[in-house]
Amino acid sequence: MMKRLRIERATGQLLAARPGCPSTPGAALRSSYKCATQVAPVRYSSSSSAVETEPVYEEDGTDHSRFPPLEKLPPNTSTLPSPLPYRALESAKLSALHARLSLSPKIPLQTLARTLVDASADPNPLFNNSSLAFLGATIINYHASEWFMVHYPRLPMDVLFAAMAGLAGPAPLNRIAKSWGIEVAAAPGGEVDPGLLQFSLENPGESIAGFGYTRTVVDKINKNNWKRSVASKVIYDDDFGQLIMPRKAKESEDKAVEEDQGQGVYHEEAANPTPKFSPTSYGSSTTRELSEKAHANFARAVVGAVYTHCGRAAAKSFVKAHVLCRELDLERLFAFKHPTLELAMLCAREEFEPPVARLLSETGRLSRTPVFVVGVYSGNDKLGEGQGATLEQARLKAAMHALKAWYLYSPGEGAKVPSDVLEMETGGGGGGGGGGEQQGQGQGQQGKNKGWEPAYIDIGELISR
Amino acid sequence: MAVKALHAISQGRNGVGAFILQCKRIDLHYCDWAGSSRGMNGFIKSLLPKFAAAHPEIEFTVSPRPAKHPVAIGHYINGRSKPICVRNMEPYEILKKLELLRDASGEKLKKVTKPVRSINESVRGIWSPYHGNGMPL
Repeated sequence: MMKRLRIERATGQLLAARPGCPSTPGAALRSSYKCATQVAPVRYSSSSSAVETEPVYEEDGTDHSRFPPLEKLPPNTSTLPSPLPYRALESAKLSALHARLSLSPKIPLQTLARTLVDASADPNPLFNNSSLAFLGATIINYHASEWFMVHYPRLPMDVLFAAMAGLAGPAPLNRIAKSWGIEVAAAPGGEVDPGLLQFSLENPGESIAGFGYTRTVVDKINKNNWKRSVASKVIYDDDFGQLIMPRKAKESEDKAVEEDQGQGVYHEEAANPTPKFSPTSYGSSTTRELSEKAHANFARAVVGAVYTHCGRAAAKSFVKAHVLCRELDLERLFAFKHPTLELAMLCAREEFEPPVARLLSETGRLSRTPVFVVGVYSGNDKLGEGQGATLEQARLKAAMHALKAWYLYSPGEGAKVPSDVLEMETGGGGGGGGGGEQQGQGQGQQGKNKGWEPAYIDIGELISR
Repeated sequence: MAVKALHAISQGRNGVGAFILQCKRIDLHYCDWAGSSRGMNGFIKSLLPKFAAAHPEIEFTVSPRPAKHPVAIGHYINGRSKPICVRNMEPYEILKKLELLRDASGEKLKKVTKPVRSINESVRGIWSPYHGNGMPL
């Protein structure tokens, strides 16, 4: 036991948490480096001076001139659900995270500390990240959806939902947060380092996660596997077309909250009704889900914090640099059922000649490994081409290829999204809030800073349910 | 009947958009009695403050490890760590080791035979034996 205590006393990270850092937000970052870097000389000189002065021994035998005692936490710290805001200035992890994300010095460490407190750790919305996460979610989803709308105007709605979930949903945001090097506190509490992500595995907590309505028939949809129309997904469900589960009401207190929030805003927790945990069940699917939710909300909250302190342009460049720049192969999101029929309907709608499949080349028809190359033609225009081991397979592949070429039409990388107009009005330029670089886009804008050209919007998919 | 959607998760590539330094923490351990730590102690006294100030994205922790050789341990975002024993080294040699820790990605070392790896689609497409006129013999 004694040995263990000594090791903890020796960790420089806790020693680095020194009081007396100036509390102005701008100076916070710089001063925290100073705190961290000052440790070394202080440490060294103290150890060398130990030779001159008589060592002071504690009752447990610790030489306190060599191993200074841990900083005393405020008396009621362990009863608090999350660390006190001023302790953010003392956390080396937090200032390292601030620098790692190249956040603007306008964002104080206290706000960054708040983004790390999940609603399941601290239910008080004044101290947890739910409000910042809600703000961040709206910003991320706005930028992702406008990017898809302008760059892929013909995406079918279902594929658009899947693309949104693949780029800006909880799963990719979880990965983004993990790629920022976030460490997780074993359990939330007032005494943990504010630089750790704090969420609870016992109580799922509730945070406002986005817009949408809980359907009245949600139980029957789940039970009987009812179909949901695309139109109803747009109206009722969340930004990714996912069903919104009803909240498990904690009765009395929740009713008041519900009245405050009004409709159209849903709470996320209910998706997993209070799970039965033993402390050893860490790593189960439920804990993974809770962890994913907490990480995703943290990533959203950081975007919300950038928006709050640095403004719209900085938030946009941050989202662009961290979320929209990721690679998502849209071709892999399509699952066709009757591609040839769908292609025929497309040609009819666009008043093309009906599609005809023609064999372009073949080899080894009688062998074990035949290959057929089939092209789909409308009049003299080749719409698509596919190759397969049978004629039928090659024909279907050709039709799918033609349909994907239609659906994945893109006006190109230079197309302007609606939010670019806001920057043109204000003279452009990001506020240096995020790690985003706007160089490429900025140069493009200077060349054609004429004004808004409306985006091309297609009439949409061929057959909607 | 209509197109159904499959699920996929976007893939991040560090440096496209934003760059995140992969080294998140460096632990420095010294002993203030043993001779093998003399260089480490000098490094901590003279070079570390400047190095730490130049790398705010890395968390530095300094702690004594009595009666042991000095060691520098880098911790990385992928969860791995890289310990380097720096016994009997001069301060500037230790600085080189810290730069090595800073620049490492945390991945296991492996031989890179092809200089470029990419998840982007090939611009020229994949060669097909069924297209073109073939090579006349």
